Parts: sequence; C-alpha cells; structure tokens
Amino acid sequence: MIKKVHHVGVVVRDMEQAMRFYRDTLGLPVHKLQTIQEQGVEAALLTLGDSEIELLEPVVPDTGIARYLERKGEGLHHVCFQVDDVERALFDLKEKGTELIDQQTRIGIAGRICFLHPTAMDGTLVELCQPLEDEARAFAGSA
Amino acid sequence: MADLTLDHVIIAVQDLEAATADYAMLLGRRPSWRGEHPTYGTRNTLFRIENTYVELLSLGGGSGDPRWSGELARFFDTQGEGVYALALGTGDVDATVRDARACGLDVIDPADGDGVDLDTGARRAWRNAQVPLKASNGARIFFIQHRSPPDALPVAPVAAADGAFVKRMDHAVVLSADMEASRRLWSDVLGVRLALDRTFPERNARILFYRLADITVEISGGAAQTQEGVGKPDRMWGLAWGVDDLRATCARLNAAGIETSGPRPGIKPGTLVATAKGPATHGVATLLIEHTPESFRPESRAPHGQAFDNAPPRRAFTAKGLDHVVVSTADLEATAMRWSSTLDLQVAETLQPEGSHFRLAKLPAGNAFIELLQPLTEDHRVARSIAERGPGMFSVAIEVDDLDAAVGDLRAKHVLVSDPEPGVWPDTRVARINKSFTNGVSIQLIQRS
Repeated sequence: MIKKVHHVGVVVRDMEQAMRFYRDTLGLPVHKLQTIQEQGVEAALLTLGDSEIELLEPVVPDTGIARYLERKGEGLHHVCFQVDDVERALFDLKEKGTELIDQQTRIGIAGRICFLHPTAMDGTLVELCQPLEDEARAFAGSA
Repeated sequence: MADLTLDHVIIAVQDLEAATADYAMLLGRRPSWRGEHPTYGTRNTLFRIENTYVELLSLGGGSGDPRWSGELARFFDTQGEGVYALALGTGDVDATVRDARACGLDVIDPADGDGVDLDTGARRAWRNAQVPLKASNGARIFFIQHRSPPDALPVAPVAAADGAFVKRMDHAVVLSADMEASRRLWSDVLGVRLALDRTFPERNARILFYRLADITVEISGGAAQTQEGVGKPDRMWGLAWGVDDLRATCARLNAAGIETSGPRPGIKPGTLVATAKGPATHGVATLLIEHTPESFRPESRAPHGQAFDNAPPRRAFTAKGLDHVVVSTADLEATAMRWSSTLDLQVAETLQPEGSHFRLAKLPAGNAFIELLQPLTEDHRVARSIAERGPGMFSVAIEVDDLDAAVGDLRAKHVLVSDPEPGVWPDTRVARINKSFTNGVSIQLIQRS
C-alpha cells in the first residue's frame, strides 16, 4: 500500500524565519508555496531528495494547526505516506475500524489526501496522499 | 562571443513629430539627432543618454528596403506602438555573427547602413545584422557595429531642472512565456552574463537579469513554466529609466500633463520607482527609478520577501534525502503491531545497542524508514519527551553527503551542532542540530558510508 514517505510536516510560528534555516542554512530548494484557505495555513514545500519537508504556518486563529501550535509549540506535526490509491486505502482503513480524522478524501497540497487520527497510530499523526498526476494517470488507465 | 552592449533601443511610433515631443518631455532632453534612413524607408529621432540611446522609429522618408519598412508596418498592424527592437552593440559585427551562427543562431548576413541628420546634414554609418524573429523567440534583436566615432551622435541636451531628467537606462523588460528558451538564447547563444535567476512565488514571477555593461535586460515570466507557454514568442514590454531625483521628475511630468503613479519603494530595497502612464509613452511600459546608496549594498542584492534563487549557490554539503523518521513509543511491540496492521509497514529489524537504554525497530517505507524507539529508563531524553508531549514523532534524520563539511558549515553559520559520532545503525555517523535553530524539530544529520 505505502510507496514512500511523501513528506514530513512541521508547524512553524514564522515562515520567514523557518525559511532562513531550512532553505538558506540547510539548502533545501523551495518548490511550492501555497496558502490553503480552508485550513488557514501558509505552506511551503522544500525538496529533500525524493521526499519533502512541509512547513506550515497558521495564518488564521483558532484553526486546527493554530490550536496545535498554541498547545504544543513548534515542531514535527505529521508524516505523510504516498499510496497508490488513497480512496482504496481509506476504504480499507474504515473496514478495519481505524480511527480517522477524515471520513472522506479531500484535496490538499500533496494531492488527494486523508488524515488518520493520531490515536490510531499511538500518537503519530499520519496523512496518506496520492499526488494528483497519479490520480489522472489512474483515471486514464481505467478509461 | 565578445561582450555585447545594449547599443540602443528602438521604439516604433506612428507619428514621429508627436512622439519626439512626448519623449523630449519624458526624458527631459532635446533630441540628439533627427534623421532618415534613405535605404530603409524609415525616419527616426535619437536621444543619446549616459549609457545608451533610444531611437524613435516611424515609416517615411522614401520607399526603401521593404525588409525594414515592411516589417515595421507589420509591427504596427499586429502590435501597435511600443518597444520594437534591442540593438546589441559589438566591435566586430562579422565576428559576432560568425560566433552566433556557430552556436546555432540563425542570423541574416551583415549589411552596411547609414543615416542623415536632417538639420545638420551629418551622416553616421554602421554595419548591422538582424536575427530573424523565429530565431530570437520573438524579441527583435540585431547586432550593430558603428563605423562613425561615438561623438557623431551627440548627447541629448538636458532641458529640465537638476535631477529631474533621465540620466541613463536602468533596464529593459522582455516578457517571456518560455523562460527556458529565453535562457538558452541569452545565456548559451548570446553569451550574456546571467546576473540573477530568481523566483518570487508571492508575485508568481520568475526573472532573469542579463547584464549588458551597466544595463540589465530583464526577462520576466511566471513562477512555474506552463505547458501552453512553451514555444510562445517573447514580447518587448517596457523600459526603466534612471533619474537622480524621482520626486522632481514626477512633478515635472505631472505639470506637463503626463500622469505618474508613485514615487513608491521599488522591489529592490533602496530604490524608489514611479510609472509614467498614458499616450505619451507610445505603448512602452515606462518605469522611472531612483537608486539610493543603500540599493548598491550587498544585502539589497540578496533575495528578499519569499524570493529564492534558481541558480543554487555553491554549498559545503548537500542534504541528499530523508533517511528516517524516529517515532517514540512506550511499548515497542504494541506500536509495531499498530503500524503493521494499519499501514502494512512491517518490522524488518530490531536493535538494542550494547550499553544503551533504548530499543529500536526499523520499518522500511520505500525511500526512507520509520524507526520506532522505546526508551528503557525514565530519565532517557525520549522518555522525558513522551512524558511531556506524549508518544509520536520525535525526530527526523536527514542524509548528507559530507557530515564533517555539514557540521563545519552549520557552525560557521552559528548553528549549534553536536560533534559527529557513530550512529546506532551500522555504517552511519550522525550529528544532532540544536532544536532552537530548527523550529523545534529534532534533526539529526546522518552520513552513510
């Protein structure tokens, strides 16, 4: 089911300042910057070999990420695994009775995604994703 | 190829008399030259400024060579007035053409040309060679070698108060939908120095700065290359003029009925900019720019805002990839079971290093692995983390190509890093970065031998 670690998500208080370390000091190239309105966050994706670091700064108070930052402070937030078919993966998880945050897949910065509940993984917040170009190919294959 | 200069910029205008009056006002100068090209079938007005000259070009002055007049007529039909061509100066046009052809550029054979000043009867001669539009991505360029001495074209007399006139050209802007094609032309074929290749995600822009002596040709496009843009022609868009006193220049233009917006701070720190608007620009996006001493300081050349450079600077080390993610747990077997049953990630290896107070399990996940870590004593730092934050993601290991170079480089940048030491996994060395530098993330750098 799991193809690779797609990215590791990090919650930061100040994107500029985080960029100075991850981009400038560590030398990770930025390949995408995006504001995700519905989650109230600004996201930056930095290339790390064939994986990524995703920096997330909450820009709207009282959203999930903003509350996380208040409660736990900056740091590691989630790990995202790329799967072949996220719909299928979510269906299987439901079958197994896994605790989930998302009952349905949705579009996130990494493509079509869903989040498991951290209690399902003993405290680790896990995201599953299927990049959209993969999804397009899957559709083309089924046509 | 020998160093090229921006010899002059040609603006195509319908009504030469009106355009001459408008540009005399915009530049704050009287023309250097008013003439015609008997061999081309065109007429012109020239303004020489400090570092280049601008040529207003219109039809007229005889039938001439349809290669030139016909092309100008087509330009008016398809685009109207605006920046028409960039003339790249060379000391030896024949050699430049040979070099350009050797790089695969299609260039029309060099030909001699001359012009007559209608007021003084003076003549100027040159030799030039045009690059077909198809070969130059749609931005009209030609090479020119002047055969008359430079003072044959006098500097345009200043006709405005101190500081309120255009002194020099700062940059010329070319819009490109196919940045890679533009980059190939200007870097690989023309051999012009690329001073900067920078992306501004918040403005959805990428710019290339090419330096022709002290003038920049700015190629401007979208942050990401679109598929539709590939093969689309470039478009000459605008000119930026350097003035000493932008407020005084704007006040003078406003008094003459030319609308300006600004002055406002430019994107480059330390600059003030204003745009001139309306019919007086004759289809040229016109920016006036004043540099303060601050804009020449090194920090003003560094990326600002969210901008980043596409040409990566030489680095002491390279972060090659994600090696593993460390996940803390109070019960290794139970958590391993969770990962196995939920995500089908299986334990490939377990480890309790000799003399250590923790146990590890390795769960391969394609490009990286998950390391489950169970501390065996309560005072272990991972045990303290579990007590404070609960179990879960604890740290990430980033693979580097040269750990010692990385540690040296980070320390030179005042980042606290531990001394490299053997890692728990065979054939690895690791160093830990202090969390106060990493936005709270526990990061270890790891090198595999």
